[in-house]
Amino acid sequence: MIIARRLAIAALAAIVLFGLFAPVIAPYPYDRQFRDRPDAGPSHAFPMGTDEIGRDRFSRLAWATRISVLLAPAAAFASIALALAISAFSGFRSRLMRRLVESLTTVCLSLPWIFLFIVLRAELPLNTGPAASVALTFGLMGVAGWAWPGRVFTAAIGEMVHSDWMMQARAAGISDLRIAAAHAWPHLKSLAAAQFRVLIPAYILSEASLGLLGLGVPDPLPSWGNLLRDLQQPDVVKANPWALAPLAILMIAMISLELLQSRPEPAI
Amino acid sequence: MNRRFGAVSSLLNLVFVVLGGGFAAAALVRFSPGFDVDENAWNPRLSASTLEAMHRAKAAESRLPKFYLRYLRAAAHGDFGTSDAYHRPVSELLRERAPVTARLVVFGTAGGLALGSLFAWMAVWPRRALPGLISVSTSGVLLAIPPAVLGLAFFFWQAPLSLAVALAVLPRVFGTIRAALSDLYDSPALLAARARGIGAGRIALRYVLAAGLPRWFALAGVAIMLAFGLTVPIEALCDVPGIGQLAWKAALARDLPVLCALGLLVTFVAASVQSIGEIIGAAQ
Repeated sequence: MIIARRLAIAALAAIVLFGLFAPVIAPYPYDRQFRDRPDAGPSHAFPMGTDEIGRDRFSRLAWATRISVLLAPAAAFASIALALAISAFSGFRSRLMRRLVESLTTVCLSLPWIFLFIVLRAELPLNTGPAASVALTFGLMGVAGWAWPGRVFTAAIGEMVHSDWMMQARAAGISDLRIAAAHAWPHLKSLAAAQFRVLIPAYILSEASLGLLGLGVPDPLPSWGNLLRDLQQPDVVKANPWALAPLAILMIAMISLELLQSRPEPAI
Repeated sequence: MNRRFGAVSSLLNLVFVVLGGGFAAAALVRFSPGFDVDENAWNPRLSASTLEAMHRAKAAESRLPKFYLRYLRAAAHGDFGTSDAYHRPVSELLRERAPVTARLVVFGTAGGLALGSLFAWMAVWPRRALPGLISVSTSGVLLAIPPAVLGLAFFFWQAPLSLAVALAVLPRVFGTIRAALSDLYDSPALLAARARGIGAGRIALRYVLAAGLPRWFALAGVAIMLAFGLTVPIEALCDVPGIGQLAWKAALARDLPVLCALGLLVTFVAASVQSIGEIIGAAQ
């Protein structure tokens, strides 16, 4: 288990570095087209070949890794911040407010996430540029995914509200904001970190599903999700197995993240 | 008394959620881009005063509370409007496609729960390292594959897509079932039963299935909604004419009447499944 965790850390570090140094590693810009070389096989000039409009697969994979590696944690951070704000707001208010937020959380959790996202995504204006669209895609993920950490925070804050130290702090006339920042936050910090780690793989996978459906990061920007669209053409995959590279890197990242989340078995 | 209170509270919750979902759906339609555009505005036969009167009438009808009430009343009668992309009543489209998705969801959920239980049992019952390792690794690998990719693989291999849904559900229920089984297998009642020499089959039926019934019901509810979410990309990419494909095509075509009707129905189904789980849990 220890060896597996070390391997997972090494794999994740390699993937993160590959993404962060994409501008240095990638031989070409992600959108440069070599129109005389569409669907080219691997060669010295194109280590993973080119796609159907002659873009270098290796360069696009590096840039896609950069986008997924940077934005999935950003979306997870947004979800945690929103969940904390909503849970703290409801936790320090009346019982009715808590009940309302609990109901909202339950419904958000039971709704198929991808469905909610499809509806929200369809509301976006048609003339959104690629960069804004990426920000909106991950931003919406962050907003729509608040309920997962929200349930955990609401339960934790619900317990805290009835604790002796909280009652004493309130009796001493300390404001709710100060109680939340100075007294409740240290208790919630480790929960927030755990939720953050859980959300990152969930968002990576969600982006992949949305990208495959054409509802994620739009072309010409690459992401792991939209690179997977090549899998819809089995002939392309048969001709150039490097088309499977985005799936392989995504799976390695996911398995590594899962391994890091699993608790090591205690040594007896 | 407490049980009755729990059931009433769950039902009230359901009503609140459906009304809230309906409001959100109506607001989405009302504030969608192009809602205020009237094609008569380009009709040269209409005078300026007629157009002004029509515009005022439409503005009055479009006020959100009034629009919401009208939308909800029509929805209660099964009228969800007309699809912009298909030019057909939304209710007709839903009626056509619901059975396809229902089949996929039912078989996918059943298969996912059965396989998830088998793998969880392998991880808990034999108390040996190898079966545990196999089940945890398989579940981990399946979790790392996007469901749509699983669906595509099954589509190209011409294998049943419900099996792809089942394999996508499996890793998502595996952890919960394993934790529940672990809890039940460590319970004093079950340890006593093993000590008395009761067979594994009877233990599984009486001490695991029967004793954990509320948990299994709650899990089945969650698994149904999970499977429904997983069918969306699978139906969309594998050309299955179900609700998921309809949602995807509606999203691409910005067909808001369809999306809002689907949103309302899915909210209703999700809240109903949740309430039924709560009521059964309270009754147990």
